[in-house]
Formats: sequence, C-alpha cells, structure tokens
Amino acid sequence: MTMVTVRYFAAAAEAAGVEEEFLDLPGDATVGMLRDELAARYGADMQRVLASGSFLVDGTVQRDPATPLGGAVDILPPFAGG
Amino acid sequence: MTEPLVEPGPPLAPVRLARFSRQLMLPGFGELAQRRLHAARVLVVGAGGLGSAVVPALAGSGVGTIGIADFDTVELSNLPRQLSHGVADLGRSKVDSLAETVAASDPECRIVRHHERLTAANLPGILEAYDLVVDGSDNFPTRYLTNDAAHLAGKPLVWGAILRYHGQVGVAWRGEGPGYRDLFPVPPAPGEVPSCELGGVLPSLCLVIGALMATEVVKLVTGVGRPLLGRVLSYDALMARTREIPYSVIADADEITSLIDYEAFCGFDANETDAAGGSSLAVAPISAAEVLQRIRADQPLRLIDVREPTEAALRRIDGSTLLPLADLLGGAEPPPGEGPIVVYCEVGIRSQRAARELRRRGHTEVSSLDGGIERFAGVAADLIAR
Repeated sequence: MTMVTVRYFAAAAEAAGVEEEFLDLPGDATVGMLRDELAARYGADMQRVLASGSFLVDGTVQRDPATPLGGAVDILPPFAGG
Repeated sequence: MTEPLVEPGPPLAPVRLARFSRQLMLPGFGELAQRRLHAARVLVVGAGGLGSAVVPALAGSGVGTIGIADFDTVELSNLPRQLSHGVADLGRSKVDSLAETVAASDPECRIVRHHERLTAANLPGILEAYDLVVDGSDNFPTRYLTNDAAHLAGKPLVWGAILRYHGQVGVAWRGEGPGYRDLFPVPPAPGEVPSCELGGVLPSLCLVIGALMATEVVKLVTGVGRPLLGRVLSYDALMARTREIPYSVIADADEITSLIDYEAFCGFDANETDAAGGSSLAVAPISAAEVLQRIRADQPLRLIDVREPTEAALRRIDGSTLLPLADLLGGAEPPPGEGPIVVYCEVGIRSQRAARELRRRGHTEVSSLDGGIERFAGVAADLIAR
C-alpha cells in the first residue's frame, strides 16, 4: 500500500467536501485508478471536475491514466471567468 | 527573483516623486523601480471584473503605458464588481470608461484603447508594442490565444481567472517557467465549465484576484520579489485561504510553433454538423422585428428564454418558456410545440450557445434572437411582461 496526499481545489474541493485527504492505495496504483476511486466516492460533481480538471502528480500534469501515482496529487479545475 | 523586465525611463519630475513617495520608500524598491514602471508598457486583455480591477491598480502603481483590449459595453449587472464604471457609463464601451477612470486619477498614464476582438491575426502585431500581457479575459479561446502569443513573443503573461468563490493567478514566461498549457493542456468541452454569467461570481473576488495580478506585474517589471512562476495561486473566498500548486513543464507536450484557430481548439467549431452528421450547426440570428412580425401575425413560434429565473422575474417576453442555459446544456429539452424555436437571452450571446446545442441535437428550425430581450424590448414594449 502507498499513502497518497490528495489536495482538492475550487470545484474539486466542493465535490469532495474536504480540501485535502490521505488515501491508502495499492502500491501499483495509477492515475486512472485514483480517478475511478474518486468518481465512485464523490459521485457526479467529482466526475464533472475530473472530466476537465488537471491532475497533477508530484507537480506535473498527467493525462495518461496508466501513469503511476506519486506521493502527492493536486486536482485543479480550469475556469475562464474574468 | 528574476531580472527586471523593463529598463528604467528618465528621472522622475518632483511632482511624480511626491505622488509615488509611499512606494519609493519601500525596501528594495526606490526611484529606479519607479522609473522602470514608468517605462513599462502593459497590455490588459479583458476589461471585465479582472480588467477593471487590474487597470486602475497598474495606473496607480505608476505603469506608464497601459493597453486595454475589450469590445464589450457596460451593463447594469457589471457594476457590482467592475468598480471603474458608473451608472452614467451604461451602454458605453468598457475600454473608454476605464480609460476615463484612469485619466481622472493620473492624467500622465498613457492608455491605448484596443476596441477590437483579439484574434490570432491581430494579437501578435498588437503585442509588439508591449513588454508584458495580462489576461483577465472571460473565455477559454482567448486564454489559450493570449498564452500562445505571449509564449511565441517570449513575453511574460500574468493570468487570472475567477468563478463563484474561487480564483486562480499565475505567471507564464517562456524560458523562465512553465506556461498556461502546462497547467491546463486541453481546454474543457464547451459548456463543461460555467462562465461567471452562468455560474455567478462574488464581486470582491475580482478585486482580490485583480490586485494579485497587478502585484505580479509590478514585481516582474521591477524585479522585486519572486514572481508566481511554476506555481499557481488558488484562492478560496469561503475559506479565506490561499494555497499554492507547484507545476512544471510537461516534458512531452507539443511545442507551440504558431497560433491556431482557438475557437476550433476549444470546441466551438463553426463547421460542426448536427447529430445526423448532415447540416452545419451555424445558427442564423433572427431580428427583433422579424419575431415581432411573427407574433403579430399569429404565426406559431416557440420562444425559449435561456436566462436565469432571477432575470426572467424582472422582465420576459410574453408567451415564452423559461429554460436556463445550464439546464439546457445539461440535457433539458424545450417543451414540444408547434412552429420554429426562437431562443433568447439578455443580449443574444447565451442564446447562440443554446441554439447551437439544440441544432446539434437535431432540432432543425432554431434561431437566436439578435440583441436579446434588450433589443426586443425596444421595439415591442407591450409584449414585455414585468
């Protein structure tokens, strides 16, 4: 098992109801597995965020679901309001 | 710390030294920093909530030349957060109103008015006359356009974005750190992320984010402090918390080599076809006079109001059905009925989106009321229910 710190921002934090949490995931966990886990855990609002939000693993945006997870994940939705 | 972006201009006159005395005494600032600001030329994209906060803050800081690019006019619903405009400015160009606000505070600040819509064709030329660009625009195509143009020109970009209770601020600068595309490599699908017009925005949020953006500009121009390079600042007004997200260049990202069609890149494809794959999704606008003629002639017509319930409560066209754009984009259908569909909103922008979506779903006779209820009320006040 590996401990991943997940930080949620803006609409992602609203969907999760927390700004940050620690998740125990299998040692070979990937970006895709975490996305599925979060979608299952937090439902439609989180799915909407995950559809367009950025998934940063240890400070780099990762789009390939097969990317292995690191110790820290940040989930940040884009918005364009001005 | 980065090197100062701008070489200092000539020594300041005594009256300028007096004006800026409170910042000249700042540790690490001094007259040289003020002369750099005076020589700086900053282009601000968007004169909305962020632009109207950023521009006066830049002028107040002593930035010598500020370009403002926007083609919008001041509306009543802008006033709570766009404090540079007043009631007397309603209907006027935002750029003109903002320019006058600055002139009232510092007539020596040079304002360059860009009333046109920025495109891949005109932005590179406009950008040549500036040292730095600030993006406070309200849509994704402009954000990617501005990022790419700044990247290609090798000029720093200070960007900010707001929605509801949240804001983001970052600095992109080729060679010095990652860019906007390293944080958001692909734009969201159209309608996936609401705009402030649809999602709402806390007025004071514009001031917070606008002030942070102006601060980054001053830091970059003068070389004071550490700019927001490689980290994006996220502000949550409800929690009163700022957090930073570090990010780096995406190693295998496609290189930006030229400007592209940003409307198409963001999914707003003019040549898109309907669900059956046949006809183009281009939606013809219908004039207020044509709609009025149909109503007066008792021809069948389905008027769909895609504004919010609070707007419809103030005024609506008699006989229309309310179907807010967010619901429509979420899958809601207009009630079945006879005759072509005419979608309307306040000024005719949201209704275009709605009409395109209905066309995409296979509705054939759909048009968008040109100028919205605002224009319609001008020709048929008797058909407006209040």
